[in-house]
Amino acid sequence: MVSRDIESSRRAARAAAQSVKADSIVKNLVPADYSMLADCVCESDLVFESVAEDLEIKLDVTRRIGDSLRDDAIACSGTSGLPITTLAEALPERLRSNYFGVHMYNPPYNMTLCEVTPTLYTNRVMFDVTRTYLTDVLGRTVVEVKDSPGFLGNRIGFYFINKALQYADQYKFSGGIDYIDAILGPFTGRTMAPLTTSDFVGLDVHRAIVDNIHTNTSDYARETFVFPEFAKQLVEVGRLGRKSNGGLYKMEVRDGGSKHLTVYDITMGTYRNKLDYGFPFAEEMVADLRVGDYSHAVETLVGNRSSEAQMCLTFLLEYVIYALSTSGEVGYDIHSADDVMATGFNWCPPLAVVEAIQLVADFKALARERLSESILDAVDLDRLLADGARSKYDYRTYLRSAK
Amino acid sequence: MTSRIHVLGGAQTDFERNWTKEGKNVIALLKEVVSDGLADAGLCYEDVEALNRDNRVACFVGNFIAERYIDQGHLGGLLTEVDEAFYGVPSARYEAACASSSAAIDAAAAKIQNGDYDVTVVVGWELMKTVDSKTCGDFLGRAAYYETEAKGIEFPFPKLFGRLADEYLSRYDTDEALLMDSLAMISAKNYANAKRNPFAQTRKWFMSREQASQRGTETNPYVGGRLAVSDCSQITDGAAVVILASDVYVKQHGLSCPVIKGYGHRVAPMVFQKTIDESSDSRFVLPWTRQTVLDAYRRSGLSLDDIDFFETHDCFTSSEYAAISAFGITEPGEEYRAIQDGVTAFDGPKPINPSGGLIGCGHPVGASGARMFLDLYRQVSGTAGAYQLPKSDTGMMLNIGGSATTNYVFVVSRG
Repeated sequence: MVSRDIESSRRAARAAAQSVKADSIVKNLVPADYSMLADCVCESDLVFESVAEDLEIKLDVTRRIGDSLRDDAIACSGTSGLPITTLAEALPERLRSNYFGVHMYNPPYNMTLCEVTPTLYTNRVMFDVTRTYLTDVLGRTVVEVKDSPGFLGNRIGFYFINKALQYADQYKFSGGIDYIDAILGPFTGRTMAPLTTSDFVGLDVHRAIVDNIHTNTSDYARETFVFPEFAKQLVEVGRLGRKSNGGLYKMEVRDGGSKHLTVYDITMGTYRNKLDYGFPFAEEMVADLRVGDYSHAVETLVGNRSSEAQMCLTFLLEYVIYALSTSGEVGYDIHSADDVMATGFNWCPPLAVVEAIQLVADFKALARERLSESILDAVDLDRLLADGARSKYDYRTYLRSAK
Repeated sequence: MTSRIHVLGGAQTDFERNWTKEGKNVIALLKEVVSDGLADAGLCYEDVEALNRDNRVACFVGNFIAERYIDQGHLGGLLTEVDEAFYGVPSARYEAACASSSAAIDAAAAKIQNGDYDVTVVVGWELMKTVDSKTCGDFLGRAAYYETEAKGIEFPFPKLFGRLADEYLSRYDTDEALLMDSLAMISAKNYANAKRNPFAQTRKWFMSREQASQRGTETNPYVGGRLAVSDCSQITDGAAVVILASDVYVKQHGLSCPVIKGYGHRVAPMVFQKTIDESSDSRFVLPWTRQTVLDAYRRSGLSLDDIDFFETHDCFTSSEYAAISAFGITEPGEEYRAIQDGVTAFDGPKPINPSGGLIGCGHPVGASGARMFLDLYRQVSGTAGAYQLPKSDTGMMLNIGGSATTNYVFVVSRG
């Protein structure tokens, strides 16, 4: 384990062991620093680079790896969305075949997703050996994806999260950030609401991901990746989220030590108490899910004509459509989108959402009724949902009874 | 006229799930597992209503202590909240600590055998993640003689099963390092088996023989005598359903299903020290457990040679260790041989806990008996998916309650 100094490497090894509750792995993580990089690389069968998510830094480290990598050894990058082909080209030509992307999700004992990305240069035998190792030894859910910005998981996930952020701006007079989170909460098939997730990840990371996708892709949803102005300002003043105590949300400790979750009010530019919106459709869904009445919960979502319920359903329908159409572009089969969203985000994956909706309505008819012309013109709904593939995942585990 | 007891099918919930975190209550748990179990058996709620018109269906609920975990009793009646099809269906709760759902299976099987009903639905369940682990350990202490063995003691059960390991050392003169390594191998095996099981609680967790051997470290502290965290089963939310049927039903529907070949049920002293004292002259530390296995061999007309695999009650590694001689795989005191030689491994000649057992799969106490039985059914019917064994015509399960007080054994075979 190589980092800037030995002490950091030692701490990282310790933290890794604690995260998987296994002291026995510490001895496998030999601490080293960059002065020892060449020796470490030439002794290794597999070199995994996971330095800062900055193309110049990654290119520099990859070049240095290329200086000492054995001809029979594998090198890979853990980048969450930078171009793998460009990184491969930092290696000497003869070693480019030994290089590919291996993007793990956090925390690995909970999120098993691993996106693997070959390049034009990749040696397929080496790639398959690594893939088998990731699956069988490391217990990863391996999904092969194309060398495309944000790969598949972040592309779909941040389509949804950034759209929520744009909607927070658009609906800032209705409450903004917590208003949108209250519409898209855990009862819609996720552990936490989308803007709470952004607050966890950090607005800086969020911004880097969507900027990259916005700049380098050109599908119908490209404008959904525009990072809103108010959020840029938060990043500029260092209000990144949980890691900087204050971003979209902020935990305030008041007199007597009690903690209050506050939210950034976009209209005021200040933090205020998070509101309990109590939307009737959400209250009803949460009550249904508590006793496992999934049909009635979905019936409420589809049947309730409040603007919030309609917005919620539209978000879910658009998520399914975007996930399935992107799965065709960046992945290799219809289940790729399901695998990445279930095992990388712990969100109800698209095909499982389709199954939940089919409890009470025809998904295609509903999509035609609720989605905008521009989306319906951009995708071929019949083709996307043609083979009626069943999800490997169970929607019941994802639809939570919580706001 | 007595009937054979056919196993139509069943289902279990994903034992990884924490129903409290999902915000769901016991009704959500039961709706899900009962619907899935009926569907697997080719039944629906309308079929239950039709059978009930002639009083041909009944339900048997296994649960240990819902009164503590979720403030709920009267668990037979609770099934009427799952679906109106259960209005009027005979239903009651059976309790025998961690063997509760085996007691429910026993009753359900007897009613089929006796010709009283054509279909019996067994539902075992426990929601344990409603409280912290110390409170959970205290609740479980009620499976021992609470006042003398558990009250005011932190984690009483690991301590009781730690004494089982101690007794092995003193009685058989087994080398301590060899015994402890064998226990670590049991743990590593069950975690590894669980990785093939899509319903197993620990399928994403890390474990190795080396980690299981490093007892007394920060990530593997001692919890009961010589036993450490890696020697223990898990605290789990979950439910399992199995559905049994009569000759009449199977014939009417033209089915060919696995059948129950035999059972054993014996109760040893409640107080663990009395079990140890009573067995001081026996070849076995747990002679009533051994007797339960012998009863099942006798009733089924089968012997060890006929059993292709076992599901056993590894609430702790020491309990799986003791089960090896109880099944007759080795002489008592020589269990380590079977472990060290790979006899009980997934690809060994007598695999134990191909599902991952209670250590790997999880241990929602009132569900575990039904879950083990379901795994016998899955293996025998060839529907175990990624953890299907190549040879699985006949399987035996051992489910125990308390400190090996209640002992239940079932044998399931191809029909």
